Amino acid sequence: MAKSAKQNMRQHGTSDPVVARASDLCKRYGSGENEVVALDHIDVEFRRGQLTAIMGPSGSGKSTLMHCMAGLDTPTSGTVDVEGLEVSSMNQKQLTRLRRKEIGFIFQSFNLVPTLDAEENILLPLQIAKRPIDRDWFRKIVRVVGLENRLDHRPSQLSGGQQQRVACARAMMQRPSVIFADEPTGNLDSRSSREVLGFLKQSVREYGQSIVMVTHDPRAASFADRVLVLADGRITHDMEHPSYESILEVFAGEDDVTVDEILDPAAGTGERSSQGKGARA
Amino acid sequence: MIRIGLRDAKSHMRRFVMSIIAIALGVAFVVGSFCFGEMLDSQIDSMMASNSDADVYVSSSVVKTDDDGEPSGTADDGKVQYEDIDPDVAGTLEEIDGVSSAKVFYNYMGAVLVKKDGTAVNGGGAPTLLLGIDAQQPWRAAKLTDGHWPENDREIALHAGAADQSGLKVGDTATLVLPDGPEQFKVVGTFDTDAAQMGASLVAISPALARQLAVETNHTDKVGTIGVYGDEHTPLDAKAQEALAGKIRAALGSTEQVKVETGEQARADDAKSTKEQLGFIQPLIMVFAVIALFVGSFIIANTFTMIVRDSMRGYALLRSVGASPAQVFLTVVVQAVLLGVVGSVIGVLLGWGLLELIAQGMNQMGYALSGSAAPSTMDVVWGVVIGIAVSVLGASIPARTAATAPPIQAMNETVNPEKPVRTRGAIGIAMMVFGALAWWLAYGLATGDGKPTPWDAVNGMDSVIPMALGAVCLVIGVIVAGPALVGPAGKILGWVPDHVFPVTGRLASRNLARAKRRTANTAAALFVGIAIVSCLGVIAGSVKASLNDVVDTGMDADYAVRSASMTTALQDKAVKEMEQVKGIEASATLRQMYGVTVGGKDVPAAITQPALLTTIAPPQVQDGNAAKALEDGQLVVGQSLADKYGWKLGQRLELKATTTDIDEAATAKAQEAYQRQVEEQAGKLQAEARQLALAGDADGARSKVAQAQQVVEDAQHVDPQSLVKTKEVTRSEQVTVGAIVEDYLYVDCVLVNQQLANKVSDTSWQMLDQLYIKAAPGTDLETLRKDLEKIAKPYYTIAVMDKDEFKSSMASMVDQVLAIIYALLALSIVIAIFGIVNTLALNVSERTKEIGLLRAVGTSNGQVRGMLAIESVILSVYGTVLGIVVGTFAGVVLCAVYADQGISKIAVPWGQLLLFLALAILVGLVASVSPARRAIKEPVLDAVRSE
Repeated sequence: MAKSAKQNMRQHGTSDPVVARASDLCKRYGSGENEVVALDHIDVEFRRGQLTAIMGPSGSGKSTLMHCMAGLDTPTSGTVDVEGLEVSSMNQKQLTRLRRKEIGFIFQSFNLVPTLDAEENILLPLQIAKRPIDRDWFRKIVRVVGLENRLDHRPSQLSGGQQQRVACARAMMQRPSVIFADEPTGNLDSRSSREVLGFLKQSVREYGQSIVMVTHDPRAASFADRVLVLADGRITHDMEHPSYESILEVFAGEDDVTVDEILDPAAGTGERSSQGKGARA
Repeated sequence: MIRIGLRDAKSHMRRFVMSIIAIALGVAFVVGSFCFGEMLDSQIDSMMASNSDADVYVSSSVVKTDDDGEPSGTADDGKVQYEDIDPDVAGTLEEIDGVSSAKVFYNYMGAVLVKKDGTAVNGGGAPTLLLGIDAQQPWRAAKLTDGHWPENDREIALHAGAADQSGLKVGDTATLVLPDGPEQFKVVGTFDTDAAQMGASLVAISPALARQLAVETNHTDKVGTIGVYGDEHTPLDAKAQEALAGKIRAALGSTEQVKVETGEQARADDAKSTKEQLGFIQPLIMVFAVIALFVGSFIIANTFTMIVRDSMRGYALLRSVGASPAQVFLTVVVQAVLLGVVGSVIGVLLGWGLLELIAQGMNQMGYALSGSAAPSTMDVVWGVVIGIAVSVLGASIPARTAATAPPIQAMNETVNPEKPVRTRGAIGIAMMVFGALAWWLAYGLATGDGKPTPWDAVNGMDSVIPMALGAVCLVIGVIVAGPALVGPAGKILGWVPDHVFPVTGRLASRNLARAKRRTANTAAALFVGIAIVSCLGVIAGSVKASLNDVVDTGMDADYAVRSASMTTALQDKAVKEMEQVKGIEASATLRQMYGVTVGGKDVPAAITQPALLTTIAPPQVQDGNAAKALEDGQLVVGQSLADKYGWKLGQRLELKATTTDIDEAATAKAQEAYQRQVEEQAGKLQAEARQLALAGDADGARSKVAQAQQVVEDAQHVDPQSLVKTKEVTRSEQVTVGAIVEDYLYVDCVLVNQQLANKVSDTSWQMLDQLYIKAAPGTDLETLRKDLEKIAKPYYTIAVMDKDEFKSSMASMVDQVLAIIYALLALSIVIAIFGIVNTLALNVSERTKEIGLLRAVGTSNGQVRGMLAIESVILSVYGTVLGIVVGTFAGVVLCAVYADQGISKIAVPWGQLLLFLALAILVGLVASVSPARRAIKEPVLDAVRSE
């Protein structure tokens, strides 16, 4: 993409209905006999002001897609752009700048710096980027996530749900173009999950935040405006405002193992077992 | 299980590099320390074997006493000193059966050998030693390598080392600077000894000249010992020595007050005392060995903590398939053993190499050593055992963690709360408070009125006791309380970076408080090293400042003149000429008096002129009029002496000097005896000649006559000096204390004028030490200096110094000490850097996820580097500040306690301490480079995904 075109798009950024885009995206691991295709020529656009969920069984490439979109991983071929900026060809410095302005992250676990209290964690991205702090915005977010009385607590003094809410608030605080959430409810009980998902939904509704969320949980996905389903590195389904049942239906067609996994995340195997709750037992 | 451990070790080799280096350094210091000791020992032993090579030594058994009847010298080193022995005993000894020769070796140390290029050999360094050796009186351990021994007073032979250093060879004309000025000699031979002489230049001169020089300087012809050879060529073995000593004891009986020792005994005693003098070096190296090993053990602990954390799943798997905790423990410990072996073997080699380097360096500097630097088997065994022990010790706690972990456990960064450090903090701080109180007490006892407390029992204590107690308590207290101090210290030291770099600074200072014990341990290595160096720095600085202070406030002289070696006298002739130079307002000399007691006390006394006290160095505070007192032939006493012995102004004291005079009667008797001996011998030869002539052997008769003539002729050539006998003369004078002077260059000596001095002693007992010159107003100082130097030049060893040079000449010892301090500092810094790098590496590996998160939310590489740099700098500054504070206070208290030893002024070398601080910052920055690189290299995604 030509530089002038990039700048052009940047100027009209807010009016472009697409916030992030992948074109002909490929990601392969290993080589020869051991080659694994994680992403197989994917073309996808993420729309502004929407909560998009990416679903799929283990090894379907859903996490890889998100990592490539967010600049955490480099694609083998194809391009990724966020707000008209080509992410896939950025160097470290440009990526840092991108993360400071355009991208927010929420991870499954370990979202917070343990030495900083909740308020410091929320303000961390702005302070790192040496950007001015909008106190009104801060108060608004803190109120929405319901952490008014927890601001001076260290992460170790917060419950898992509270920690994830702090992480959401942190991601929102910098008002990024898009927030990438990697299994944000993966470690939470159902009540905390609902709270966090509710907050994400609210930020999309009320503040027009764009969010891309990877999840294996059909219930979590049912909060989304749009659900993409991946299998073997390809997008198999693209659903607008699906209901919980309609999502389950999609997976009912798949083989049994994945259905089990979908219905009961705690019994999960494969890549998630190392990250999931089960590993802590 | 061992095989699993070894395989693990192989895969962890890269991580082990730092641990191996640490162990190697520690072991290198240990081995180096042992070897250095052994090298010195063997050097001293071999020097003793060459230089004191007699089979039996005979010395006086009369104990030296001072006026109080107490054995003198015992206060200092607990050794009894014996009177010198009369050289006449040698004659008696030679007649004993089995004695081949009994020789009095005279030697003289004050001379300077001038090199071929016209400069002095080793000016101010190792001495030039003149030894009385000739063909009749050879030195058994020395072998002639060229030419012959000196045959008269104008010939010399050079030791191989001296010939090397001076560039002189047989046939050259050499210059030796003797007390009366430089003299020319002909080099007629070179010789060598088995042992190198540690830089000393040995010169053989004729025994008569040696005796003359020795008598002039020692003021007696008596010597410490007489060496007896049982055989002229081969040394006796221990048994034969014992037998010979027995014969001598029996022969001398109880008539002479002598002590007879075998050569072996004497050498062992001498070697022992020399070794004791050099003994301080080894413990000093040991201190740094302990620091290195301490750092090494926790570098290993850190490394293994990392490894164990990474391999936890593997251990859990092993446990779940039935491995016992002991077996898992073994897999970890076996790696530590391997590490210890590799590290210590490298360490042994390193220590050896280091020592070879030192030996080489000393050789280059002219201090040739013949001792071997190679480590003995015991050194190697010790080194390896210590290396392995330290590694296993360091690895044992992580290994226990590995072994006792439940079979299924994934490590999680957030679930590793430290044990509380409050108890340690309380104990440590209590010790620190106690230590500080002890120091306060020591300081109070040593300064002011000496009554810091209302209790007499406490006030009566020697201030050294609370000082030592305080030092031990404070150092241990700081180490014990260390983890508890990390939190507050991080906050205080983090204040600046916190405000300059809001996020990274805050993260860095808080990170340090996460693993308080680790942080404290890392800082402790730096703390101990810096504390030692700061303490020595304060002492050195104070000594220097005290000297400078004395010169600055008390000295108005423009030039000071003294011999470059400081130990030899100035030449009278030169001084007289210098005092005549144009443009001098005033000049004064100082002559040290020997054999003097004042009021029955053995105190330094010097002869000077009133000009010293009026113009050149007027005393700041005085009781009475010092210049007038001196002029009137009264005593001018230094304040500290007056305090020590309770002398008051106006008090009359006895000035007593013991000198030796020529004993006319004894000399005449000796000459007569010699004459008779010669005549007897000549008469005997002539009688034999007559008999031969009667028997018809004309040739034989002629040769006997010739021999008789030769004997008479030889006798005429004998230096009459060698027959001069001396006797001790004691003269005394009652003198009034005319003035007591304070903060003055000579605060601990007694000054008298020349007339008074001459009443009790003579000029040969007065060594012209220094000349002070003050220029007349308007004189060009440079011209004056050139004039003075022109006079000094032909004497080679006279140094003309301006005020600054004079100061630095007095402080040159201190500068040498400072050089050693800086070398030690460098060592402790190198070790500390390893410690910090390792701790940071562990911190980084523990925080992989956190750093990934920070980078994911927009932290740049520069900010990550900055964060680790700040963390590292705070850590190193923390250790350094603790060290500086404790070390500086230690130095101040030490200086106060030893104030009466000439440390009148306590000077904290602020510049030097600031330099340490700057160095600490630099060390921190350097140490953070490699861990930061590792942190950045990790892809953000991996960091976020990792467990």
